[in-house]
Amino acid sequence: MADQHRQAAVVEFDHVTKRYDAPTGKDKGKPTPGAVNDLSMHVPAGKICVLVGPSGCGKTTSLKMVNRLIEPTSGRILIDGVDAGTRELTDLRRSIGYVIQQIGLFPHQTIGENVATVPRLLGWPKERLKERSEELLAIVGLDPAKYRDRFPSQLSGGERQRVGVARALAADPPIMLMDEPFGAVDPIVRDRLQNEFLRLQETIAKTILFVTHDIDEAIKMGDLVAVFQTGGILAQFGSPLDILAAPASEFVARFVGQDRGLKRLSLLRVSDVPLQPAVTARPGDSAEDARRRALDDPQRYLLVIDETNRPLGWVGHGDIPADGTITPSMANPVSPTVNKRTTLKDALSMMLDADVQTGIVVDRNGAVQGLLTVAAVAAKMREGEHAPAFDALGGAETAEAEGGTDGETPMDAGAADQAAIEQGV
Amino acid sequence: MPPGTKIFDFGWVAGHLGQVGERIVQHLQLTVIPLALGIVIAMVLAVIALRRPITYGPVTLVTGILYTIPSLAAFAVLRPIFGLSLLTAIIPLTTYTLLILFRNFTAGFNAVPAEILEAAEGMGYTRRQRLFRVELPLAVPLIIAGIRLASVTTIGLATVAAVLGDAFGGLGQLITEGIQTFFPTKYLLGAILSVVLAFGADFLFVRFERLVTPWARARAGAR
Repeated sequence: MADQHRQAAVVEFDHVTKRYDAPTGKDKGKPTPGAVNDLSMHVPAGKICVLVGPSGCGKTTSLKMVNRLIEPTSGRILIDGVDAGTRELTDLRRSIGYVIQQIGLFPHQTIGENVATVPRLLGWPKERLKERSEELLAIVGLDPAKYRDRFPSQLSGGERQRVGVARALAADPPIMLMDEPFGAVDPIVRDRLQNEFLRLQETIAKTILFVTHDIDEAIKMGDLVAVFQTGGILAQFGSPLDILAAPASEFVARFVGQDRGLKRLSLLRVSDVPLQPAVTARPGDSAEDARRRALDDPQRYLLVIDETNRPLGWVGHGDIPADGTITPSMANPVSPTVNKRTTLKDALSMMLDADVQTGIVVDRNGAVQGLLTVAAVAAKMREGEHAPAFDALGGAETAEAEGGTDGETPMDAGAADQAAIEQGV
Repeated sequence: MPPGTKIFDFGWVAGHLGQVGERIVQHLQLTVIPLALGIVIAMVLAVIALRRPITYGPVTLVTGILYTIPSLAAFAVLRPIFGLSLLTAIIPLTTYTLLILFRNFTAGFNAVPAEILEAAEGMGYTRRQRLFRVELPLAVPLIIAGIRLASVTTIGLATVAAVLGDAFGGLGQLITEGIQTFFPTKYLLGAILSVVLAFGADFLFVRFERLVTPWARARAGAR
């Protein structure tokens, strides 16, 4: 494999337009579904770029213009600086991994043969085909000995989708195009496939163009998110955090949803927020000194820790005796502990559950690193909203948000699914 | 039927095995050659229709018209041209297979799911590779269904070739002779053997299909 290993490529859309015949009859004057209007976009090597938008917005058309299943009306798509339109067609396609929602596995070929499709087209020797397909099945988490000789009809939807990903990776292409790859499986399997794919991408580091209509999937999967709006117009292109923090238009704000604050919380981690120092003392330390230090601190609380810096609990400054020493029994262990990898959403949720304003951030050994406060999280959220181009929190939307029916339930359900999966595996 | 004639004279059959065998071979010839030619022609037409869908209508129309020509009339027209040759029988028998085969072949190609074709195209199959490695294998069940139907039809129709006489007449010759000489054993034997051949051919094609489409039987339940 190493001999033709090309890790990833830069993909650039240069004023790409695709026009179809305009609708007639009652739809006359409406935008043509699937059209793309002067798309310019730079996708750096090794990144996942998610194309998201409502149906008919041109996201799939844009994807298919990369491997020229659809030819642009005007403009160019450059792959590592080379115009895709000048490449030999089959050669171009064999150098691009392609995964579609319906997967399109060949029902008359075994799983092993399906995976080896592109290497076979490229004329690899037989031994290497077998080796490669087994290697890939293992990579996507399917036991080669068990699955190699089965036919696609004998696999579940999730298993087939993994085979689809393995097949797209077979010739180690620098680019992958994925058109709603996890759209046809149930939410639990989808969540698992998404997580597995993100883990896989950490090692393969391909340039991936990923189409979805699901903004949550876009935010989860994308290093970059391109929001399309009807008429094939690129409404916004940026990191998920940028798009959530500062939607470029009313359309984008509506598309990402009223709960974009919550969505940002699930993208940010404790390590993104400056930690507050804690006033700490160990059992046996002087109570008088500890009390004075607690009074000097804005929190006015003392965190009692053990010999290895693990938190034992809080003592309010009023409960610290004027003299004597600190004892473990004074400590009230109410605050949740989080680590730097915890998402702010989970951290806030734990703090709300414990009815406290402060979480204790610990390292891998459980030693205190600092404190996470609700105020610091709020400041972080404000800081992200640098000069929003559009204020999505207008009066009407705020009123709706107070209804509180949307947004919250699906995300919680997702988290529950995640927990269920991790226990199950 | 003269009095005292047996309905079926096993003794006669035992004494004329060579003659009967010859008729069977002739009949197979009258079936296999038109079927093979029909498969080749229909496949070419089906591939053309796959690439140029506009040809589907005209081809169906022409093969449909050919199918309606009465076989006896066809033999009558062709005999002055080709004489009592095999060709006189083979031409009409071939044309009769075309409608059935063409329709089944195109149905087979059309039954290949669009997403499979898209995946093949997206992964860089050339058109030829797609035809031979994807479309044809996936069309096999309907292709064989058409061949089964055409073979059974042709085996039955070929009895009419008795008009060609002794040299090529096949089982039809046996039947005609039996009727003309009021000898039931001969025409019954001809008819029975024709039916047996038809069943035999059908059975063989079913076995063949199972052999070449192992994937079609592999289902989720059969893990």
